Order: sequence, then structure tokens, then C-alpha cells
Amino acid sequence: MGRWTVTHEVGELTFLRELAPRYAIPTPQFLEWPADRKAIQDCLGRWEGAVAKADILVGGRGKAGLVEEVDSVSDAMRAMQRLAAAELKGRLARTSYLVEPIPTRQELYTAITYDSRFLSPAITLSLRGGVDVDSIPESEKRIYPVDVYQGLDAYQAGELLEALGYPQGVISPMARALVNLWDMFITSGMKMCEVNPWRITPENRPVACDFKAVFDEANFKHRNLELDLPEYPENVTEFKEEMDRWNAQSYQGQAHVSDLGGNGVLPLLFGGGASTIIIETLMESGGDPMFLSDFGGNPPYERMRGTASICFKHKLASAEVLLVLGGKANNTRIDVTFQAIADALAEHAPLRTTALPVIVGRGGPRLVQGLLALQVCLEELRWPYTIFGHDTPITMVAQYAGQLCKYLKGQTTDRRDP
Amino acid sequence: MRAKTLTDVLRQSDRIAVSNITGREAGNVTEVSQRYAGNIVGGWALGKGGGTIPVERQSSIPVLSDYADLLEHLPRERHPNKIVIYSPPEAVYGEIKNVVKSSVGNVETIFIITENVSIEVSAKIYKLCQSENIDIIGCNTLGVINATEHVRVGAVGGDRPEDTFHPGSATLISNSGNMVNTMASYLYGAGIGTRFGISTGKDQLILTPLRELLELALHDELTQMIILYVEPGGLYEQMAVAWMREIHFSKPVVVYVAGTIADERSLSLGHAGAVVEGAGTRAREKQALFDTYLGVAPFTPGRSFEPDRLPVRGLRVQTLHDLPEAARVLYDVLGRERDYHHYTSLHLNPWLKDMGRLSARLPPALVLSQGNIPSPYKEQIEQFHKTQFGRVTTRRQMRNASHASSNDGVTPRIYGRSVLGLMESQSFAYVLILGWTGHPPSRTFEPELVEKTLIASLTNGPGTISAQAAKLSASAGNSPHTAMIATLAAIGEVHGGNGKEAVTLLVDAFANSGLTDPYDAASKELVCQKARQVATEIAGRKRAAAEQDVTFQRVPCLGHPVYRTEEVNYDPRERVVARYLESAQVYHAFLDFYHKVAVSLREVGVTRNVLAVNIDAVIACVWLGICWPLLCEKRMSIDRAKNIAVAAFALGRAAGGVGEYFDHADFGQAMDMRIPVSECTALTANVEEV
Repeated sequence: MGRWTVTHEVGELTFLRELAPRYAIPTPQFLEWPADRKAIQDCLGRWEGAVAKADILVGGRGKAGLVEEVDSVSDAMRAMQRLAAAELKGRLARTSYLVEPIPTRQELYTAITYDSRFLSPAITLSLRGGVDVDSIPESEKRIYPVDVYQGLDAYQAGELLEALGYPQGVISPMARALVNLWDMFITSGMKMCEVNPWRITPENRPVACDFKAVFDEANFKHRNLELDLPEYPENVTEFKEEMDRWNAQSYQGQAHVSDLGGNGVLPLLFGGGASTIIIETLMESGGDPMFLSDFGGNPPYERMRGTASICFKHKLASAEVLLVLGGKANNTRIDVTFQAIADALAEHAPLRTTALPVIVGRGGPRLVQGLLALQVCLEELRWPYTIFGHDTPITMVAQYAGQLCKYLKGQTTDRRDP
Repeated sequence: MRAKTLTDVLRQSDRIAVSNITGREAGNVTEVSQRYAGNIVGGWALGKGGGTIPVERQSSIPVLSDYADLLEHLPRERHPNKIVIYSPPEAVYGEIKNVVKSSVGNVETIFIITENVSIEVSAKIYKLCQSENIDIIGCNTLGVINATEHVRVGAVGGDRPEDTFHPGSATLISNSGNMVNTMASYLYGAGIGTRFGISTGKDQLILTPLRELLELALHDELTQMIILYVEPGGLYEQMAVAWMREIHFSKPVVVYVAGTIADERSLSLGHAGAVVEGAGTRAREKQALFDTYLGVAPFTPGRSFEPDRLPVRGLRVQTLHDLPEAARVLYDVLGRERDYHHYTSLHLNPWLKDMGRLSARLPPALVLSQGNIPSPYKEQIEQFHKTQFGRVTTRRQMRNASHASSNDGVTPRIYGRSVLGLMESQSFAYVLILGWTGHPPSRTFEPELVEKTLIASLTNGPGTISAQAAKLSASAGNSPHTAMIATLAAIGEVHGGNGKEAVTLLVDAFANSGLTDPYDAASKELVCQKARQVATEIAGRKRAAAEQDVTFQRVPCLGHPVYRTEEVNYDPRERVVARYLESAQVYHAFLDFYHKVAVSLREVGVTRNVLAVNIDAVIACVWLGICWPLLCEKRMSIDRAKNIAVAAFALGRAAGGVGEYFDHADFGQAMDMRIPVSECTALTANVEEV
């Protein structure tokens, strides 16, 4: 619990500090916590008040009370201290900051994303700025595709704003700001960025008043910018942390897990689609899965063994049922992956004081050799097991494992009860 | 889109080329695809041109160093019209630009298998190919199969696509590659074969969206039904359904929407594009979308339909295992013939099970009975159990890995056990058993037996070949470890190595015979029977050899050059071991077998007297006795058991050789092992050079 990592998400503070100056995007002034009384006093004096915000990578800060207007130094310090330690939806704040309040005569919502309808980048505009985009009716949003080669130019941006019914006097400065936003989006390899809202001051100056973005992990461009991206604290278990580190070490076979917090079925699952369905079925049938996993991609022996070892090291001792399950593999060698799982299981079996029921289901290349390798291991451990082939649907196997787990957990509770 | 119907995407007459063809996955998959369809014209891989990939029963695949070379190499009529991209993510855009530039008008479809292509590159590829009228499947597609024409690209169907994809009338369109395979196999059980299996890829941008694929399926005469596997993310389904409504789509669809777990919580599912990203992209929203389009409640098994409310547009299933039943019902209510007459309902069918004592605690609903293993897996498992004795290992890179030893910087270990602990409490023989078999001795007398065989192996006098080698080494002025190597170098198949043959004989006789404990006296009857069997076989072999006047293969490790004159002969070293076993009241099936073979050989007339069971046989029997339970439980390979017998002799004899060396080095003269020229005989006449 509590590692600090650089993520691919960008919050407002990083935008204010790193990206906005680089791309000449107009923003409010800001002051990062910790700051001394004098600096805060100066800001409050210059800005005629301030807004304190938590630097946290999650939406809905306003509703959650993580944005607070302040007008005195002591209020500002108290608020910044509180917000720097805030937690929202399982995410932790990195720090907090003050921003200059921007008087507004008009707000605007903008986002640039890649849109599945156009198969290209697209810009979304709405005059309903400052609210959750999902709550804006479709009739009040405009989405325009942007040519990925040609980009967004000021003329085009101006036309879009005009079509939206944007006030004439501010179209030109806003269009320039949107072009700069596009430049940032495309040259830094983002997959989405959102300014919500832009505030247009009474002097017709657009100011980007909140921001979030996500860099595309597969796009090298953001690494070339040498941005000073901060580390954020993360609420992750040691298991997730170790698995993420292991996953990042190689492209050979994925080792993807998401903690689910359950304490029933320990699932070693294969295939992005299959793992989703299996976890859903486990949840519905009382399997209380410990995590979601996807270990497909034809991992070589040592990758699969390492992946299984991490799962067993952290989870084997407290599992009720071990489930090794995937569909009929196209590419993943079952003999290699199952031998690796068997060897890792034999290595970590001493972590348990009792036998663990093991449910297996799989199909694919060299299936029989793989199933038998696992059977030999389970026989050796004297653990109860049931192994299915690909003629039993994965959902039925998952349902059975879930029901078995639910029953065994009930038994455990009964035994513990006086 | 350039394609007008599904076969335009992939057909048997296509000419397919593969990028980065020598990569681990690309090479394996392409070889299977070529065996399956035979329409791959070539591939390229930077810096690896010039070779070919041989393919069983098909023409081999030429490998060139780049795409331009490939085009130059191939006659114009063989230039590829379909391209499969396996290049690394950062090379994908360059490869595609190159293909587009070099093949104006020729290339119709590009399949991008590569994962982790950036979304910006995906958008650029789409735009580029759209302007050149080239269709793109992917990125991150697993591939496409046209089961009717027996052709595929990518890994759909694994290494035996024909096992899963039987020609039929259902076209599968899936966000998950694995689900194409899995759903095809479920549907076949319900008598429905596959027309096309399409993995769309599930990156954020799917470059051939569902709407376009449905249009192709609509125009394909052989497609009777469309099966959709859908995940969260994107508005592809929304666009497809709007279009289906607009044109009154005439083919039934069976839909499964996965991923509701990601609706409420911020979960990253397995595919990059399977993320909730706003209104309409959640799984439940997609389920509702299809429910409204289909106009019927989600399918539940056993449900009947009123004649005036038939599910003409199709059905949505709520769990994947209802898919074949829903498809079957749909065929029936719409009055269409299924592709095959068989129907196997899906159920829990355990192939291998042993729930042990847990079964007694479980409610009846959770106790499963042994299922039926379908062909050919049943035969494969039977064959494995019949013929496979000992462990089958999976090979791996072992350069920096070991099961046998470890050292964490504090404690050296042998198979996980501390060397320090072993030093304090165990004998050398005990640790040797651990170090060679990977498991500690299972019986207390086993280290003692090993100890005795080690002593017996030390020497059999200075005239043995191995002792002579040590003396030669001393005579040449070598150091003791060199003499040890010389001793070992003089051990071979006919001196010391015979133990391997003895183990082979024993394994052949007793593997899968029911013998699991070689120290169990209850196996005497079996031992007698096996001994007689071996003796009878040898007698037959001897008769056949006599007729042909050739030598015959004898029983290894039986007989002794010295102890052979009595009616019943014994090697005195073997007697020591036999007496120890007797005193410890231990029956040894393998030693008993050897003695009974010797007796039976006389009875069937192969030998005139009862031959001595020699020390090589004793070593083999002792070590195989230790290894036997491990072999039965498939925890040790047969090769290891065979080699241990030789290693055991070599270990003792190497130590004995050093003893011989010390003696010779102290008392012998330099070069005294040399044979004077005068005592050597030339067997070849001199030939004088002119």
C-alpha cells in the first residue's frame, strides 16, 4: 500500500507547470503547496482571493469537496493542508495548490480524443462548461473529426466555435487557444485531453481552468519531451505492485492483474476476453475472486513461472480455490504454461497448511501434455482437483469453481463460529 | 471499404505475404497457416533475407530482407494482395507506408497482428489506407479464418485450425481473438459450423468497424447467422445497430456482451480498447442497445416462442455457455437446417479428477462424476499412461537457473535443503540420493545400500581398464584430478556403463506393470513371471541368432569372468548387499528379478549354469529401487534413472582411480607404463614413399 509512481495521466497542476507554458495555453496563476505564509499572502493580495485544489488524478473533485474557495491566509493554509492529504475513489492526492480565481462571462467545454465513430481524432465542444461531460445532453455537444495528418488550424477552429454559437468577440482568441491545445495533444502523444472549463474573462481572454489528459503508453512522443512528470501515491497492494513491475520487464506474454479485493478464488486466467467473462461469472456465483488476471500471449516458461510464482507468493495461503482457466488457446502452448504453473505451485505449496482444491479448464496446442503436467503436480501434492477440457465452457467451469468456493467459505465460517 | 463480401477479405486464391516472418510467433503461426492453406507467397524480415521456412506437405516460404526485395523475387502474378503485419509496434507505420507505396492497386487488405500500436499511428494507418482503397483488419487482431475455403491468416485456430473450424453457416465476429476459437468449438457441438471467424482486434480504434463487417456478412450467401462477442469501449455497436435498423438487416444475430464488471468500477480489462469512456460505451448500455434492437428478452434455455413473436432478428445470451443452445433454437424457430446433424449439449465434463476426501464433505450438486474425454484426447491420455513412464519435462533456458542447487548469498542449498543442515545431520549417501534424484531417500535403508555399492565400485583390482587409466596418468606425471578424469574417460559402454542397459531391461519389464513399491514382497509372483518372460525372449533370440549365425543380445550385467564355474554362481560383492537386505528384512524386487532371470535362463537352456548377478546389476537395482516410486509418479525422467546407474559406478571408480594414482605416483617410475617399441607389433606392411 502506498507506492509512488509516474502515471500516464496528467492532472491540472502538471498542466499548469509543465505543459501550458510550453504550448502557450493561457492559464490562471498558481501556487503549489507547501508554500510559506508570505507567498500565500502575496497571491491572495494579487488575485483577490484564491481557489484551493487537491492534486489528485480523479474526476469529481468539486463534488467531493476537494476544491475550496479561500480568502484568508489561514483558511488557505488549512485548506491546502487538508487537500494535500485527500483521498477520493481510492486515489490519493499528491499535493495541493492555489489557483487564481478567473471571472467569467462565458464557459466552454473542450476535449480532444480519438473517436470510434470517425476512427480519427475528434474535438468535442459545448457551451455547458464546468460540468461532468456525461451530464451534458448530446444536443448541446458538438463533435468534429480532425484530420490526423493536417491537424486543427485556426480557421477550422473558428468555424467550429461559430457553428456552436460562440460569442463573436471571443472566437479569435479561443480559436488560437484551441490550435495550441491540438498542438499539445498531437505532439506529446496524448490519447485524450480535456479542458473543462475554459473561462472567457470580461476582457475576452480565454483561460484553461481545469485540465486532465492521458498519454498513450504506446506512443513514444511524450517520452521525447522530457517532461518533469511528478510521481503520484497509489493505493496498491504489494501483489499488484510486484506484478506490475514484473509485467513491465518484458513484452513476452502479458502479466496483467487488477486487484478485486476478494478472498475466495485465486484465478490464473488466460485471454483478455475469457478473463473478463470468467471473473463476471465468478462474481455472480459467489466465487469472490481475489483479482482479475490475463496471462495469455503465449508466455515462455520462465515468464509464466514468474507470473504464477508472484500470484502464489501473495495469494496461495489465503485462497479457498485455485482456478486455472482459459478458453481454447490459439497460440499459447499449454504444455509450457501449465508445466510452469505446476512448478511454481510445487514451489509455493508449503505456504499452505491445508490442501487447496484446484479447478482447471483449458484447450489449445499440446493440451494433453499440459493437463497431465498439472495433474502430476497435484497428485504429488495430494490436493483435490478437477480438470476440464475445452468441451466444457469456461463459464460453466467458472460457475462450478465459484459455487465450490462459496460452499467452502461457508464451511470455514461454520467451523469458526462457536 | 474495398471488400464487398466476406470472401474479399480472405479467400483461398489470395497471395499472402508476412512481415517480420522470422519472429517467434510469426514464424510458428505462418508455418501452420501455410500447411492449412498453402497460399503464402513469401515474407520479409530485416537483415534475415535469403532463407526459406520449410513447411510440411506444402511449398516452403521464401524469406527476403524487405518488402521491395520480396516483390522483386516474386513473378508479377505472384505479387501479394494480402499482407499480414507482425512487425514490432514502432515499425508498423513504416512497414505499411512501404507496402502502400510499393504496391499501388495490388494490395487489398492488411491484417495488423501487432499489439501496442499507438492510437495516433492507428488513426494514420486508417487514413492512409482509406485513401489508397486498402482495407485494414486490426490493429491487434488475432486473425481471420475462412473455414469454407480452408484458409486463414494469424493464429485463429492455433496449430490445428481444422479441429475447431468446421465449414458451416455461422460467421463469428469477436472483439476477443480467443473467443473466436472458443465460440466456434461450442457451436460445432450444436451442429453449427463456421463460415468466417473474425477477430476484430480490441484496441481503442477498430479499423474495420462492426457495421462494415456486418455488411460484408450480409452480402455473403453462405452466412446464415452472425455471432457477436462484444466488449465495453467504443460506439461501434451503436453505429452498427443504427445501420441495421435503417436497412432492415435480414440476418439473425446472436450476441454476447461481456464486461459489465467494468461498468461501475475503474477496472482495466484485458484489451486496450475495452475501457468505459463515456456514454454508450458501457457493457450494460450495449446489452440494452441489442435488447431493444432484437425486440425480445435475453435468451434463457428452455424458453419457447409464440409463432407471432419469433426472434427473427436474433437473441442475446447472458452467459457464454447458452450461445450454442440459443443458436440452435434460432435455427429451429426460423426453420433453417443446421450444418451438422449431431447435437451435444454443453455440460460439466471433467476429464481428470480426484477430489479425494473433499468429495465426502461436498453437497451432491458439487460432486461431479468422471466425464467422457472426447477423441482424440482420450486416446492421447491413454497412450500417455500406457507408454509414458517417468516424467516428461518441458525444456527451458537453464543457463542461470537450477532446481538442483541454489545460494541466496547466505545458505547454499541442494534441492531447497540447506547444505549446512545436511552436513550436520545426514550421511554422504543420503545427500547423494537427494542431489541426484531431487528427493530425499524414502526408506531408511537406502543410504546404506548406496554406501555399499559405492565401496564396491571403488576398485576391482589394478588390471581393470579404469585403474590402468589412472596408472597411465600417474606414469605420465599428471596431477590427481587429471588421473580422476583419465579413470572416468576409461569407463564406457562395456566397462561400467552396462548399468544403463540393466536399468533399461528393468524399466522395460516393470514399467506400468502395477509394481509401485520394489520393496514389497507381494510382488514376488510378478517378478517370477517377468523373469520367465525375459528368459523365454532371450531363448527365442538365441535360437534365431543361431539360425542366422550371428550373436544375440544377452542380459546385461549377468555373468562374471571369475565367478562362473559353479553350478550356481555369485559375485561376492552382490552377496554382501544381499546379506544386508536379508538382515534388514527388506525384499528387493529388482535383485530378486535378476537372480530369477539367471535361474530361468538355465531352465530354458540359454546357459549351462546359473550366472552370477554382477556388481553393475546390483548398482542398477539399488538405484532403480530408489528412483522407482519417482518414476511411477512421473516425478523423474527415465533418462535420469538410467544415467544415475552409470554415474554411481563412475563416482566410486573415480575415487578408486585416485587411490591407484597416489600409489603409482609414490612408488612407480616415470613413464613406466610405456610399452617398449620392441614389444609392439606392426600389423601394416611398410610403404616407402618415392
